[in-house]
Amino acid sequence: MMTLSSYLMISFILFLAGIVVMIARKNMIAMLLGIELILNAAALNFVAYTKFVNQNMDGHIFPLFIIVVAAAEAAVGLAIVIRFYQIKETIHIDDATQLQS
Amino acid sequence: MDYTISTIAPIVLLPFFAFVINSFIVKKLPKLAVGISCSAIFLSFLYCVRIFKDFVFGTYAANYHVHKVFTWFDLGDSFKVDMGIYIDNMGAIMLLMVSGVATLIHIFSTFYMKEDIRYGRFFVYMSLFTAAMLGLVLSDNLLSFFIFWELMGFCSYSLIGFYYEKEEAGNASIKAFMTTRVGDVFFLLGIVALWGVIGSVSFVDIYQALADGSLIGHSVIGISLTTFAAAAIFMGTIGKSAQFPLQVWLPDAMMGPTPCSALIHAATMVAAGVYLSLRMFPLMDAGGLTPYIAYIGGITAFGAATIALIQTDIKAVLAYSTISQLGYMVLGIGVGAYNAAFMHLITHAVFKACLFLSAGSVIHSLHDEETHGHVQEMPRMGGLKAKMPFTFLAMMCCTLAIAGIPFFSGFVSKDRILGDALVMASQSRVYWIPTLLGFGGALLTAFYMFRMMFLTFFGEPRDKSLYDHTHVEKLSWNRNIPLLILSVFTLGLFYCGSFTGQKIAKVPGVVDKEWFATLVEKPEVETFASYERQTWDFTDEKSAQTFNKSSYDKTHGLSEEDYHHAHTMHIIGAILSIIIAFAGVFLAYLMYIKRSLNPARWVSAFPRWNKALKNKYYFDDLYINIFIQKGLLGLNNLLAKLDMSFYDKYFVDGWQHVTRWAYTVSRKFDDWVVDTALVDGTGASVRLFNVILRTIQTGKIQFYFIVIVFVLGSYIWNLNIN
Repeated sequence: MMTLSSYLMISFILFLAGIVVMIARKNMIAMLLGIELILNAAALNFVAYTKFVNQNMDGHIFPLFIIVVAAAEAAVGLAIVIRFYQIKETIHIDDATQLQS
Repeated sequence: MDYTISTIAPIVLLPFFAFVINSFIVKKLPKLAVGISCSAIFLSFLYCVRIFKDFVFGTYAANYHVHKVFTWFDLGDSFKVDMGIYIDNMGAIMLLMVSGVATLIHIFSTFYMKEDIRYGRFFVYMSLFTAAMLGLVLSDNLLSFFIFWELMGFCSYSLIGFYYEKEEAGNASIKAFMTTRVGDVFFLLGIVALWGVIGSVSFVDIYQALADGSLIGHSVIGISLTTFAAAAIFMGTIGKSAQFPLQVWLPDAMMGPTPCSALIHAATMVAAGVYLSLRMFPLMDAGGLTPYIAYIGGITAFGAATIALIQTDIKAVLAYSTISQLGYMVLGIGVGAYNAAFMHLITHAVFKACLFLSAGSVIHSLHDEETHGHVQEMPRMGGLKAKMPFTFLAMMCCTLAIAGIPFFSGFVSKDRILGDALVMASQSRVYWIPTLLGFGGALLTAFYMFRMMFLTFFGEPRDKSLYDHTHVEKLSWNRNIPLLILSVFTLGLFYCGSFTGQKIAKVPGVVDKEWFATLVEKPEVETFASYERQTWDFTDEKSAQTFNKSSYDKTHGLSEEDYHHAHTMHIIGAILSIIIAFAGVFLAYLMYIKRSLNPARWVSAFPRWNKALKNKYYFDDLYINIFIQKGLLGLNNLLAKLDMSFYDKYFVDGWQHVTRWAYTVSRKFDDWVVDTALVDGTGASVRLFNVILRTIQTGKIQFYFIVIVFVLGSYIWNLNIN
């Protein structure tokens, strides 16, 4: 029996996984993956709520936007990572100190 | 015919836009600027021709007029300013004269100013000048009249001082501006006085107020408001039209380039003053000013003519003759010769423009080898008839006209003024003196104008080398054609008689009056008593057909007997002025051609008069030495003393003590409160928080994530337990 709470539980697990990846990993690409997980958790929430509560198409539209935004954000993030790698020859997050003064 | 904004506004706006465009392009493209100016004024002339044709040859009633009004600004019911245009027969004739003469002067200027360093710039001012005059003629109220009036004051200032490298030119421009300013201040006072009572300064509103008597009963400084306003507005005429006692600026105005003198002396500046008096004639009549106006006109006409007798500069002779002729117009207004005065304004504009342009043509071709300047002195001229036949022809026609020789325009108009003056003199004693002065001035006019002609064009050349260096004139489109066109219109038949009379002009059935007298009538205030304004899209088809023969009264409202008397007086006046004109010419002939009378003997016989004339009756000295040196300078010194010993000492220097004290107090405040407490206090508090906050600012992004997660988690936790 698929209820709302089971969707929410999966979404929560995804979210937590994302958070943990963001906090625990020092690799920038891994951190970007964590962000994707969090965004997917949010998208899943939209779909779940629209299926059980609202029952119109609004919640199905939002994940499309989220996917687009996530793709754009990942492109920008990866571009930053590549530039960073060209300069520092590493993608370790603790080495990104240029903005500190 | 329909008169909307698109057919009337271009008359003013074309030259005005030419001025605006030219002021931007004149430095880079002077030739183009000249082209724009000339074509703008010519197009404007075409619009004026259309209006003239409608009004003079159309089928309108004699008193038909176009009056369109729009609201300029509106500050509630008590203060609403209207602007508008007002064209009647007088305005239509005036428009044609102004734009026509200005067009010819523009064309002539392309010849005269060609080698000038500021060739293009001259046309910039000329365009504005013409636009201002056309706007003034179209004005329906005294306020816009005054605006254009002042605009012309500015233009004359900058044109008279056109050669600003010369000190005399700069002084002359300031003198012209300041002298006319004296009249303008009074004019503005008159406008304000009328505004205060009527609440509007539109011409028709003023006529209406005169008709319903709403001006009666008001008074300003003890004299009745009508008299005060009329006198104040007439002061504007005195200043602008160079009447006694403010005539001093006009002779100096010849410091400008000659075409601009032609414009100032003929079509625009001085004509505006007379035009104002004509428009405000009912007010001046009601104010009882006419005898005084007649006296001022007579004195000016005669006095200026006497000064012109001894001038040696060709332009100075013409300048004084302008003052004298303006005196005749004012005399005409004074004796109630309304249409004669206006006719003289038109005829004078034509022949005086032509005279000045001819003088310019003469001056331009006389080139001094030593000073590299143009020669204006008549003692160095003589015998130029052979060198400049076309200029001679044009100037001769105009001289015949101004001298009042029959069949020329000056005779027609001047004789009519003098005839009306005689009529008035025979009825009332006070008018005898102005009338006699007028006839005396006519004698002198004939004499000094022919003296100028004889000295310039006849006899032997007195400066042989100058004469030999002068080239023989060839007929050229921009030098001679304007002169010849103007000289054609010095013929009297254009202004009187049946040649252009009732056959062509619109008034049917009036057989023994010429078109000028029929079309231009004194505004009768009674007809304005119940007056309705026209809207912009209004077309008056009714009045176009309703001309009634009886609405023109050839006897001017006089009884049969009086009319007969007036007619007799006019014939006496005409015979007198013919005799006088020929006497003047004959006298000049005896002195300067036959040399049987020696002018030097006359000079030595009246040394004191000669000295007085040389010094222009000491008016310049009077104004400079008495009014300015003694009066204004004394007042100035008094005010300066007041300023220095009172305001400076107590207020300015006293203020220093106050500031010093305030300085001490504010410095203490600054030191203790602002600097110590606020500025340093802010720094100290920031440093304190810095110590606290620095410990958690690690710079490690994942530490921040942890903080965010904890904060979010505690928030959600908080939600749950509530």
